[in-house]
Amino acid sequence: MANNGTYPTVTVRIQRFDPDTDKKPYLEDFEVALKPGTTVLDALHEIKTHQDGSVTYRRSCRHAICGSCAMHVNGKNELVCKAPLKDRLDRKGRIVIRPLPYLPIIKDLVVDRSSFWEQYLRVKPWLVPPEDVPEKEFRMSPEEVAALNNAETCIMCGACYSSCQVIALNKQYIGPHALLKAFLRVMDPRDTIPGERLADLDGGDGVFRCHTIFNCIDACPKNLNPTQAIETLRKLAQKRQAFEEARVERQKHLNEPIPAR
Amino acid sequence: MYTSSGFISFVLRRITGVALVVYLFMHMWVIGSVNAGPEVFDARLAFVQQPLFKLLEVALLAAVVYHAIDGIRLLVVHYFNVTQYRKSLFYAVMVVSVLLVIAGGVPIILFMFEG
Amino acid sequence: MRTFQMQRISAIMLLVFLTIHMIVVHYPPFHIDFNQIIIRMANPVWKAIDIAFLFFVLMHALAGSYAVLTDVERFSRAKRYLAGAAIVIGLFAFYYGTKTILAFQPPV
Repeated sequence: MANNGTYPTVTVRIQRFDPDTDKKPYLEDFEVALKPGTTVLDALHEIKTHQDGSVTYRRSCRHAICGSCAMHVNGKNELVCKAPLKDRLDRKGRIVIRPLPYLPIIKDLVVDRSSFWEQYLRVKPWLVPPEDVPEKEFRMSPEEVAALNNAETCIMCGACYSSCQVIALNKQYIGPHALLKAFLRVMDPRDTIPGERLADLDGGDGVFRCHTIFNCIDACPKNLNPTQAIETLRKLAQKRQAFEEARVERQKHLNEPIPAR
Repeated sequence: MYTSSGFISFVLRRITGVALVVYLFMHMWVIGSVNAGPEVFDARLAFVQQPLFKLLEVALLAAVVYHAIDGIRLLVVHYFNVTQYRKSLFYAVMVVSVLLVIAGGVPIILFMFEG
Repeated sequence: MRTFQMQRISAIMLLVFLTIHMIVVHYPPFHIDFNQIIIRMANPVWKAIDIAFLFFVLMHALAGSYAVLTDVERFSRAKRYLAGAAIVIGLFAFYYGTKTILAFQPPV
């Protein structure tokens, strides 16, 4: 893939940090040929394969579905595998790639995401279905399914989590990714413990810690809306009992067909 | 560092909020001097009506107005489904705040020159 | 009641009371002197309005300070003490402020 002069070169500026030798992170410039269809991840591959094998980053699927390659590109969190290199260049034909902000750096572009997963497990991200599982299926109305659209395509990349200024101040906050998952479970008519979930989210680290900064919406590579989910959860947390009773009522008819309109 | 319109409004909200808390207790101290009699009250009021304090009053007005309008924005975001208009709401808050501060600040400045 | 709900309710009340306060007390600007205030404050309705305003402004200020501090992880561990301090400061300031408002009597 050496540049034979047919393609223009661009500068890729990468934040480097090796905990064994460096005291603090520094920026290093690399020159990469700008071929048609190059993504930012392709540029990182090119650097690692042909220029400096010590450049470290996470990636897996290259199809924007595994959620490994979220990075801080030109001041915005995004998945580098779906970011066209050409569109991310600034006026000097340069791109700056940093690891996800507000998280401890392990090496170069790899961050320690253990707090991300700890908070995720806190909201019990699994579905708790009713005891009597029907022979065929639970029945949900199209409206109930549509309400879940906002949350179900999350790929757990961490872009929203590390863009959140509340996370920067306080790692005890549950975080937009986990609250979005909690929203998915609370809104699901099959879930039997929405009251318990809302009670967990009601504490000092939950939905009321959000300050409506909207960074999670801007950061999400899947165009999801954690802020709206948090606002919805806030409203539900304030009328938890009524919501719980409505859910019990709804689950009495969960195995019956949805009446046609 | 992750900067955005939401971050700017968050920081401004915090700064104005803390400043207003400080002002609130100072204000209570000045007005509370009435407990010590009208002479002390008039003396302290005369002290805080010097020209420098008039300029600070404009800053105070700006803090109050921004904090209030930003609060209205948060109420709107909470009660209506408008997160997709977040940038427009931010600019609207800025424009309305600036207009209100000009409308409220000019009389204070004019009064300062009249004495 | 949640801090969040305290903030929302007091914020909506402040939008009303602060607007009244600004228009009546500060606009158009004038040299504040004692007699003008006494004339207005002779009406007990104004005293009631000012005490309600004081209550909501203290609620908003202290709940806001509590939220600002507990946002920081280090302080959020001591949130019980912070809440206690906020309540003590609030009660004292409310007592002092109410005393001040009631002190604006014609025969001072």
